[in-house]
Amino acid sequence: MALLQEVTSSFLRRFRAPPASLHRIWASQCRHASTEAVAQETDELEVSSFLQAEGPTQQAIERFDPAGVAKRRNRRLPPSRYQFRSPRYYRGPLHPHQPPRPSEPSSREFAPGPFSLPRLEQTYHDTLASDYMVLAYAHLPPGQTAFKKGDRLRRWEGDSPYFKNRPLRGPRGGDTLRLLRKPVTFRNVPQLQRVTVHTMSSDAINSGAALHVSGMVLQAITNVRAEAHEVKKSVAGFGVRAGMYLSLTCELKGEDMYHFLSKLVDVVMPKMKDWPGVKGSSGDFSGNIALGLKADEVALFPEVEVNYDMYPPKLIPGCHITIHTTATTDQDARLLLTQIGIPFFGKLVN
Amino acid sequence: MNAGQKSARRIAASNGPITRDTVCVSCLHRLTQPSRRPASTAAALADPPSTPTQQPGHPNPPVSTAKSPRKAYQLLASPVLSRPPLLTRDLTSFEKAYYLYQKRLNERLALPFTRYFYYKKGTPGDVEWKRKIKVRKTPARDIGIYAAYGDEGWNDEVLVGDPTAERESVVEALVRDAEGKAIIDEEVVGDAEKEGLGAAGDAKTGEGQRRDLTKVEVERPVDRVTEADKANDLRSLSRKMDRTLYLLVKNREGRWRFPQDRVYGRENLHQAVERILVQGFGIDMNTWIVGNHPIGHHQMKYTSGGAPAPRLAKISPNRLVSTSRDRVEYEQEEYGEKVFFMKGRMMTGQADIAKNEYGDSEFRWLVKEEVEQAVTGGYWKSVKDMLAER
Repeated sequence: MALLQEVTSSFLRRFRAPPASLHRIWASQCRHASTEAVAQETDELEVSSFLQAEGPTQQAIERFDPAGVAKRRNRRLPPSRYQFRSPRYYRGPLHPHQPPRPSEPSSREFAPGPFSLPRLEQTYHDTLASDYMVLAYAHLPPGQTAFKKGDRLRRWEGDSPYFKNRPLRGPRGGDTLRLLRKPVTFRNVPQLQRVTVHTMSSDAINSGAALHVSGMVLQAITNVRAEAHEVKKSVAGFGVRAGMYLSLTCELKGEDMYHFLSKLVDVVMPKMKDWPGVKGSSGDFSGNIALGLKADEVALFPEVEVNYDMYPPKLIPGCHITIHTTATTDQDARLLLTQIGIPFFGKLVN
Repeated sequence: MNAGQKSARRIAASNGPITRDTVCVSCLHRLTQPSRRPASTAAALADPPSTPTQQPGHPNPPVSTAKSPRKAYQLLASPVLSRPPLLTRDLTSFEKAYYLYQKRLNERLALPFTRYFYYKKGTPGDVEWKRKIKVRKTPARDIGIYAAYGDEGWNDEVLVGDPTAERESVVEALVRDAEGKAIIDEEVVGDAEKEGLGAAGDAKTGEGQRRDLTKVEVERPVDRVTEADKANDLRSLSRKMDRTLYLLVKNREGRWRFPQDRVYGRENLHQAVERILVQGFGIDMNTWIVGNHPIGHHQMKYTSGGAPAPRLAKISPNRLVSTSRDRVEYEQEEYGEKVFFMKGRMMTGQADIAKNEYGDSEFRWLVKEEVEQAVTGGYWKSVKDMLAER
């Protein structure tokens, strides 16, 4: 027991450094703090073996050149030591080889993360969201109670005893319930959620190349690999059979979505000839607005315009663009898109 | 939100006649209906409506002629005019490092660049591409020199202090690429064929060398720090382009405030604020008042030594408000001020203090921190939560 204590104390003595070196380490690494602040910080800290380790010297920093070292090395390194493949299958939580998180570069599911902070996203958070809150505010004067709407699902009223506990009826005019609209607060401002770009080419019935060209165009303008969809049901009138791959969709989220919408609003829309805007009746009553682009308009995207001659003539497709927002009504979605810069024309149908 | 019925009744009890000037239209509608009023409140009212012909629930009750000056708060409207940020913010060092690393990883994972899809074989564009890619080793233009598929693909991290991720280097690389130059100037070494001058590492130095006959003039991006920033011109709208600027004026008392003025006649806050901008700064400002609701308020009571000190104010009609001309100049005993702030956005134009009708001497466009320094403490407390962080 005494021996153990002696070992432990000598061990601790070796690793307990005087405060001066600690101060020096922090002062050298902490470029912004003054020496007084550094002294205060180091005084508060517990002594730990982490902090006693010396950082790299300036000479070591200047000499650091991993690429140079690799070039000068004559022998070949053993691949097993430096190459790593993450496990292909998940074998349970107790297995010694656990797959890394998808955000790790060594993971098989790794997708390189955001490459920039999109301008449209910044504008939304700094400017558009606060304007939206002010515009969507509904004032209730003091002394007034809010208008209470009737029940959405109506009860059966009458003399019949069978009305009791009968399942409630839907709203008047139909059985479809529209989404509830929550009042817009700072936590609840409608945002852009995702964008779906879809194209269908009837040329692809006869030629396989048409679908490939459509896929390349979609990939160029969206930066996302397009997914092909097969026809579900054969329709003789259109000449399609079930199982034919005729349409493609790309789903854009996050950075890709913001970049695509910025390009659409700032580059493509101003160049479109005789384009009045998105139709006012566009909208699925749930806060998603769709618009269509013709083939000539898709060719206005900078990624297609740069090598327009490389695409076979007349095979650049038009597309449908559906903008999904977190708004629950058409008016809210339209207000958000108007703020972003998309014009609407004609009668606005909600 | 629901202040309750007590506040409206308190107004009715304390003030003299209940008119459109003292209470809002909806409260007026409710209070002028005698059938709904319980007996207790009827007794609390000091003076009954002076005009005997006033009907309960009449939408336009006639103007009362009170003998003593009315007791009220001075009702003011104030536009909080802001120029939103016109530039994105600077990236933090962590963001720059992270984005550069992710872009380099993308180069390693993406399929190789299909050159012939973009450049036809043998065209000058193709030749230029080959020359540039030899130096840069990667198709991407903003990640420095990095060979993703080569032997040095493992070396995707840059050393501490590397300028590759900085905005200046990225701009420089893009401009050089647009000018047709390689990302870095290759070392010039002695070459037997070319009379002592040539690029290192290439025997056929003449082939890829760009002749300086046609100099491509590429427009560089404008500096983010403008002239107004350097001169610290507080009246300029081009200062601090990545922040929101707010319009403040120095009023006749020498205090820095958002421009404000009384609400006249039957104008609403939106109309009042638009008028204030015109009367305060001229017609050369293209502005948009956001919504019809105020975004904040500030209240101040007139006191002298702790006791209320009401001021007698003479309200004359305003030339721009037609409904204020319904009555001639009248007097009002004011116990304090209530300012309601309306959000406004500045699009184009500039304020012209020479056209000011309120006696304001100066105007400034300030960011949030500068507003805090300029205004007094109580005012700042009311105003600070309306202002954007960026």
